[in-house]
Amino acid sequence: MNIYICVGSSCHLKGSYNIIALMKEALAKHQLTDKVNVSAAFCLGRCTDGVTIKVDDEIVTGVSPENFDQIFAQYVLNKL
Amino acid sequence: MNNLWTDTGYVSINKKGEQLCGDKVEIIGSSDSCLTLVLADGLGSGVKANILSTLTSKILSTMIDAGMSIEDCVDTIVKTLPVCQVRKVAYSTFTIIHIDHNDTARIIQFDNPNVIFLRNGRNVDYPIVSRMVGDKTVLESTIPLQLDDTFIAMSDGAIYAGVGKSLNFGWQRENIVDFAEAIFDWSMSAKTISTLIVDECNTLYEGEPGDDTTIACVKIKKRNPVNLMIGPPSDPKDVNMMMNLFFSKVGSKIVCGGTTSTLAAQFLGKPINTSIDYIDPEIPPIAHVEGIDLVTEGVITISRVVEYAKAYLSSNDITAPWANRKDGAAQIAQMLFEQATDINFFVGKAINPAHQNPNLPINFGIKIRLIQELAEYLKKMGKNIKVSYF
Repeated sequence: MNIYICVGSSCHLKGSYNIIALMKEALAKHQLTDKVNVSAAFCLGRCTDGVTIKVDDEIVTGVSPENFDQIFAQYVLNKL
Repeated sequence: MNNLWTDTGYVSINKKGEQLCGDKVEIIGSSDSCLTLVLADGLGSGVKANILSTLTSKILSTMIDAGMSIEDCVDTIVKTLPVCQVRKVAYSTFTIIHIDHNDTARIIQFDNPNVIFLRNGRNVDYPIVSRMVGDKTVLESTIPLQLDDTFIAMSDGAIYAGVGKSLNFGWQRENIVDFAEAIFDWSMSAKTISTLIVDECNTLYEGEPGDDTTIACVKIKKRNPVNLMIGPPSDPKDVNMMMNLFFSKVGSKIVCGGTTSTLAAQFLGKPINTSIDYIDPEIPPIAHVEGIDLVTEGVITISRVVEYAKAYLSSNDITAPWANRKDGAAQIAQMLFEQATDINFFVGKAINPAHQNPNLPINFGIKIRLIQELAEYLKKMGKNIKVSYF
């Protein structure tokens, strides 16, 4: 599985740095670092919607530290 | 016309407790024709010294640049400087370095420590002719230039550094020569050389300079063009034209902005690999595209570069926080401030609809203003700047 986290200007300002840290932490916690490849991406084209990530081909917007666990469960754990 | 460039830079630190510096460096002209650098050190310290050195450096640089003789210059200074009520003298020492078409250096010195001349990174003694002008002894030298020739001028605060503190007799000129030889590196800018020497003086003074201390450096470099592209063109039909012009330029290439770098990668037919490592949490990571020297995010990165440029230009900043960092903004600063002599900006005026959100502190106006501000600062650093809008 490939996850891309947007680090374009808008997402950066809305906290990409924290989401990357949370993502790395969550993958380590679930021992998924071998199965999931995390990379950064420049602008995914959804600048107004909060931090955007792409899980394989699916775009997920508005990721925040508050809803991170729920999104991680729904889009990552659920699909593996 | 040769392929050389005259790089200049200087740094001053004030005597402990003084708000004004009694040393003054004035640079006029441009590397394309004639460039004149004057370092003047006014008698005493504080406001009187500051006025004396400001007048002296302004008068000398203007007159020498206009091709007037040193006799006329000295005569004008003697008749112009205000006389100190306490000491009954009007006095400022000076060093003039005049570079003619990156080809010949003329050095005129009066009572400052002698200019250090490095060729291939080693100290070289140069012929000095001593001449009486009025009642003053002025030293003159003419030196044909080569690539990497470096001149280091200083006020006497530099050679007194550490007197009675870490050193008994201060830091002698020969110690500064040894230091300059040791730090010399062909890629270093004049500003960096000045900064390193002044920083060492400040250390010897234990952070409490006993006199105003200034180092001004002139270095002959190879011309090094750098091209920076930010923003897609306002008309999407112009993308290919803009990319063609940009990638046909000689020199290093920097592309800033997510959309812009995606378009550039498409134009080159290469993948874009965005790094996930945040080196500085405030600056978005950089990306790699084969054929482009540096790919970064846009507005946030550039606004940091503008901050760095502002600090770099203040004559008493000796920190240069960008010099050893690896984030996008620091890398742009290294390429533009340290390495570049000629900089071409390719600025696309497309409006990113996503950025028109009132909740975002980035918008179209800011991008254009940032580039204009940056171009202005780079001009003040003595670089040749061209900005094209698409």
